[in-house]
Amino acid sequence: MEIQSTVYYIWAVTGMIALLLLFVNSRLRKFDPLSQPKGVVLVCLMAAQAIENIVRDKTNENLARKLSPYIATVGLYIFVSNIAGLFALESPTANYSVTFTLAAITCILIEVCSAKARGTGGYIKSWFEPFAPFVLINVISKVSTLASLSLRLFGNIISGGILMKVIYAMLAAVSSAIPLLHNFNLIGVIVAPVLHFYFDLFSGAMQTYIFVILSISFIGKELPSNE
Amino acid sequence: MEVALLAFAATLSVMTGMVTGIFEGKVAIAAVEAIGKNPDAAGKIQSMAIIGAAISETCAIYGLLISFLIIFVLGNKL
Repeated sequence: MEIQSTVYYIWAVTGMIALLLLFVNSRLRKFDPLSQPKGVVLVCLMAAQAIENIVRDKTNENLARKLSPYIATVGLYIFVSNIAGLFALESPTANYSVTFTLAAITCILIEVCSAKARGTGGYIKSWFEPFAPFVLINVISKVSTLASLSLRLFGNIISGGILMKVIYAMLAAVSSAIPLLHNFNLIGVIVAPVLHFYFDLFSGAMQTYIFVILSISFIGKELPSNE
Repeated sequence: MEVALLAFAATLSVMTGMVTGIFEGKVAIAAVEAIGKNPDAAGKIQSMAIIGAAISETCAIYGLLISFLIIFVLGNKL
């Protein structure tokens, strides 16, 4: 069996995240808790606080401590995957298996949180709300959550990637008309960074934010009451 | 002939983006008006506007995916 190239990109992204976290970990170990945080430590503290605030807004205090590590991990992985185009890799999130796995984890988490919040009887009853024949519509709504979460991320990232490939090919064709360049893609070098900024950085950060926010909103919707 | 039909089908399915574009603009208009009326709630309005735009964008993304499928899956079978 042949190994797909996406597997290597997933390993590369995982390795990059691991190196980044090892670096951050070494800085955090050296940090004296009584002194003023600055540099890497300050950025980590602010990011952790921001994520915990977002989760606490949508769910409750108790769940925020348990969920924010997962949300931060998924957010970091999706963000680094989305901007992998900047490091001459292909985005792992442009593969449907990856986004489907991420969305499936979130969907299982939604069901588990719902079951914990309602209790076993209440959870089984929630499938038959408001009355018994609605079980079909409830199943469809759960499947459509999974499909829309995974397909949104996948579609956005793969459309960015394909558009970049098309634009590179077009610019190469245009600059091959310029004499004395010997097929060097001159216009591509000038134009592409702006497009990489939009398609990789902006769109990638946006999709990460949307995935994370939607995950938390779906979990918060299953909780009985937000006081 | 088949290539032309496939290209036409791909173009039709990507036309879902037309309506989505108009109404995503309406989301932006509503967000700007809401911030104008109530500048204190700017942060909440911003995140809700982004979520609304993202959810309505899903429709256009589905159309784009179907056109990719038509081009790359059906196109390879020609």
